[in-house]
Amino acid sequence: MNVAIFEEKEFLGGQLIKQTHKFFGSKDESAGIRGIYIAKNLINEIEKTENIDLYLNSMVMGYYEDGVITALVNNKMEKFIPKKVIIATGAFEKSIPFENDDLPGVFGAGAVQTLMNVYGILPGKDVLMIGSGNIGLIVSYQLAQARANVKGIVEISDHIGGYLVHASKVRRLGIPIYTQHTIVKALGKNKVEGAIIENIQTHEKKEISCDVICLATGLMPLSDILNQINCEMKYIPELGGFVPIRDENLKTTVENVFVAGDVAGIEEATAAMLEGELTGLYAAYEITGKFDKRINTIKERLKDLRKTSSKVVNGLKKLNLYEDFIVEPHESLGDLHKTGIPEEEKIENLLSSKKERFAILECFQKIPCNPCVSSCPTNAIKMDGLNEIPKLDYDKCIGCGNCVAVCPGLAIFVIDKKKESVILPYEFYPLPEKGEFVEILDREGNLLERNQVLSIRKMKDKTNLIEVKVSKENLKHSRHIRVVR
Amino acid sequence: MKNRAAVVIIGGGINGVSIAYNLAKAGVKDVIVLEKKFLAYGATGRCGAGVRQQWGTKQNCILSRESVKIFENIKDELKVDIDIEFKQKGYLLLAFTEKEWNQFHKNVQLQNSLGINSKLLSPQEAKEIVPFLNTEKLLGAAYYEKDGHANPFLTTLAYAKAAEKLGVKIYKGVEVFDIHVKEGKIKGVYTNHGYIATEKIVNAAGGWSQEIGKMVGVDLPVYSERHEILATEPVNEILGPMVMSFSYNIYCQQTPHGSFVMGYGPKETSKSMRSTWQFLETMAKKVTYLLPPTKNLRVVRQWAGYYNISPDRQPIVSSCNEVEGFYMAIGFSGHGFMLAPAVGVIMKDIILGNKLTWDVVLDIGRFERNEIIKEPSVV
Amino acid sequence: MDDEKIIVCRCEDITLKEIRDLIKEGFTTVEEIKRVSRAGMGPCQGKTCGPIIAREISRITGKPIEEVYKPHNRPPFGGIFFKEIVGETDEK
Ligand SMILES: Cc1cc2nc3c(=O)[nH]c(=O)nc-3n(C[C@H](O)[C@H](O)[C@H](O)COP(=O)(O)OP(=O)(O)OC[C@H]3O[C@@H](n4cnc5c(N)ncnc54)[C@H](O)[C@@H]3O)c2cc1C
Ligand code: FES
Repeated sequence: MNVAIFEEKEFLGGQLIKQTHKFFGSKDESAGIRGIYIAKNLINEIEKTENIDLYLNSMVMGYYEDGVITALVNNKMEKFIPKKVIIATGAFEKSIPFENDDLPGVFGAGAVQTLMNVYGILPGKDVLMIGSGNIGLIVSYQLAQARANVKGIVEISDHIGGYLVHASKVRRLGIPIYTQHTIVKALGKNKVEGAIIENIQTHEKKEISCDVICLATGLMPLSDILNQINCEMKYIPELGGFVPIRDENLKTTVENVFVAGDVAGIEEATAAMLEGELTGLYAAYEITGKFDKRINTIKERLKDLRKTSSKVVNGLKKLNLYEDFIVEPHESLGDLHKTGIPEEEKIENLLSSKKERFAILECFQKIPCNPCVSSCPTNAIKMDGLNEIPKLDYDKCIGCGNCVAVCPGLAIFVIDKKKESVILPYEFYPLPEKGEFVEILDREGNLLERNQVLSIRKMKDKTNLIEVKVSKENLKHSRHIRVVR
Repeated sequence: MKNRAAVVIIGGGINGVSIAYNLAKAGVKDVIVLEKKFLAYGATGRCGAGVRQQWGTKQNCILSRESVKIFENIKDELKVDIDIEFKQKGYLLLAFTEKEWNQFHKNVQLQNSLGINSKLLSPQEAKEIVPFLNTEKLLGAAYYEKDGHANPFLTTLAYAKAAEKLGVKIYKGVEVFDIHVKEGKIKGVYTNHGYIATEKIVNAAGGWSQEIGKMVGVDLPVYSERHEILATEPVNEILGPMVMSFSYNIYCQQTPHGSFVMGYGPKETSKSMRSTWQFLETMAKKVTYLLPPTKNLRVVRQWAGYYNISPDRQPIVSSCNEVEGFYMAIGFSGHGFMLAPAVGVIMKDIILGNKLTWDVVLDIGRFERNEIIKEPSVV
Repeated sequence: MDDEKIIVCRCEDITLKEIRDLIKEGFTTVEEIKRVSRAGMGPCQGKTCGPIIAREISRITGKPIEEVYKPHNRPPFGGIFFKEIVGETDEK
């Protein structure tokens, strides 16, 4: 079968190549690997495959009643008549209106990521992030890595939208998260010089000085081409807005037209990859009658992945999919949901071991993720399923730190009570040197003390392990370091 | 929604609202306009909205001349504060064949006799008006500087507001699906929001007017055909007049907003409302040949709408012999926007039984009487 | 919030106030607002402003989003120069 890929940009990879953080998910679906490397692997595969024609810099512009697709290829409109069409156009960012929202310095999170991670340009020094979904949290973290000063993350809801391990990651950098707040105004004459945010309950206002306002207020399926050919759409807020009505094989209401990924509903890269595989195989199945077994295994894997994403599954139910699928109810995570800081009691539980040196798994939210399990040389980490919370067998744990390096959420630490040291994952530059005194920070980025770096383990995938000396009372609080020179 | 009315107008396009306004202005109470989607959903909102007086038949000349007078003074007429963006930058009609050039001579004579001071131009003179015009094979042109263009949504809106001020009720999202006729007389309409009793109905349903005819059992001599059109992104003003050619089959203009709007007549008729890549390709070839600088314009949208075509390419504004109380303003054949101000006046005359304000023959009987002179100058 | 200073449609420079006024005047679908105000006719073809306008209409009228907004796209997506259609790339 001949396949042609049309991509508007000059490179493949879409959103993935902007993702410099590690992905959750199962080991089978590239968990623990940074998005950009997942993209690179896929791109390699594609380039190796002879019967794929790649049209880069090629925007599909029209899909007409007679089945003709027009695309702008090398600055010329070309026409194609495919047997099957898979639309995987992803999503675009929602924006929210506020006063002076047209000032230069107001950016979408996608634009900030492209500037920063693709072109190596920082959009500004002081950034206010709007939205605490995974994108808002991750981009804040990446901005901090690029040495921008993130002044805060504003979230209109009463809880953090993204994964809480991501929230904890930014909190320990000292970035506050303002839940129940919204932006009402950008300040500045010709460019952004600040912002006014407001508590939606008390209407109390707060001024924050910044030169960039970054909007991460959610994504919407980019369905222009689907709309052109009159695919039936349905408004499903859980999936990000209008999504195409389709069956379990991702076949739309228009003959020969399939969808995959965010355009079918905002989800995550892992789901998108599985959907791509499913719909690709299904389109091939319609032509050849083969692949039905593989199609079924992928469907099962997708289901498995979605076990804890009640939002997505509830959305899919509105499309009459996953009808008798039961999502596990969300357990309450108390303040962690509002602050990104785990409750004392939960931490104490992890510390109750009598051992001298052991790992602390600050992983409290059920998310589909398991790389820690297979990283452990002594099989000390157990999980009842992909979506379960990992459990540590303290007797087996030797405190080696392997899991610290692979945890995509940077939620695992090793403490050594005897040596009075902590092993932390560290993804910033410059790296400290052995023996150097660094600032030791707590879960909110507050300075606890200055102390010495005992060892540095440089890892291949750039999550380096730093072992620092800390005083006894700070062992359970030390979660980040700052290099000061 | 009201459940009885003196007159129910089906269709919230420019003609529906113009008729409603003129009826209300003449003192008719209880006029209702029913629109299945929203104002200007049909051809009105999809059209080029050109306004020209250079026609080849007396009727079209008179109707457009009178309409232009109204467009020119629209604020005084309607007394609403809406700028309809009426711009008079002329129409430049190009002749590429002998036959066409001869017709232009005749047309200009007719137009001049009716007070429309159009004139004939040499290719050189045409180039002075549009310097980048490709004059290859051009024999000559006709030009009238009082022709122009208006914003179709805002014009519809202005008429609608004016009508509402005079008591007309306009209901959007209300679709007529049947008409109640008893003993050859109109009794009411059935809509998706219930029944409305009335003795007079005006069919102003544009591309859907044939279907309305069927509801009263009359086969109207009109048909609808898809016409495609496109718009570019806005640029600084470079083109004054609407440029149009019948033999080369194209019209192209720049709106006050800056975008170019253009189209041509289809080769085959289609009932689909979807646009085609063939149109995009052909249009690109045509316009870049005739107006070469347009090759640097970016097309942002293409769409389609219905021309409701009558046998002589002139509107049918008429009562109906078979059904008492059934009136129609249909068959505008691609120029119903510009004629709407005058059509509203004529329809009001017909419904009130007045002598027609202008000397025109628009009744449906003309086809049986064989009194038809076909409009020669249409795209 | 000063809705005159809030730009809803960046492409065509249309403020929240203008949109709210139109909603009050009875234009209660995104499609109508687009036609009377040009909001949504810019280069992005209403991708950015359409959803915002929809939410505003829904908030003011209490109607669900599906009733006031049906994303409807006209080709060509992204826009195309005539010269790219006729296949002439020479700038002169
Ligand atoms: C591409 C194109 C370019 C054009 N260019 C020009 C030009 O430059 N100048 C010019 O003067 N004219 C032009 N025209 C023609 C012009 O647009 C039409 O002649 C004119 O708008 C007709 O107006 P109308 O009110 O009669 O019909 P429409 O505007 O079609 O209105 C009919 C209305 O009736 C409604 N309706 C239909 N059925 C029902 C029902 N059962 N119940 C309730 N409502 C119903 C429809 O929704 C519609 O809104 C062009 C047309 C097209 C398609
Ligand atoms: S923001 Fe309104 S059209 Fe682009």
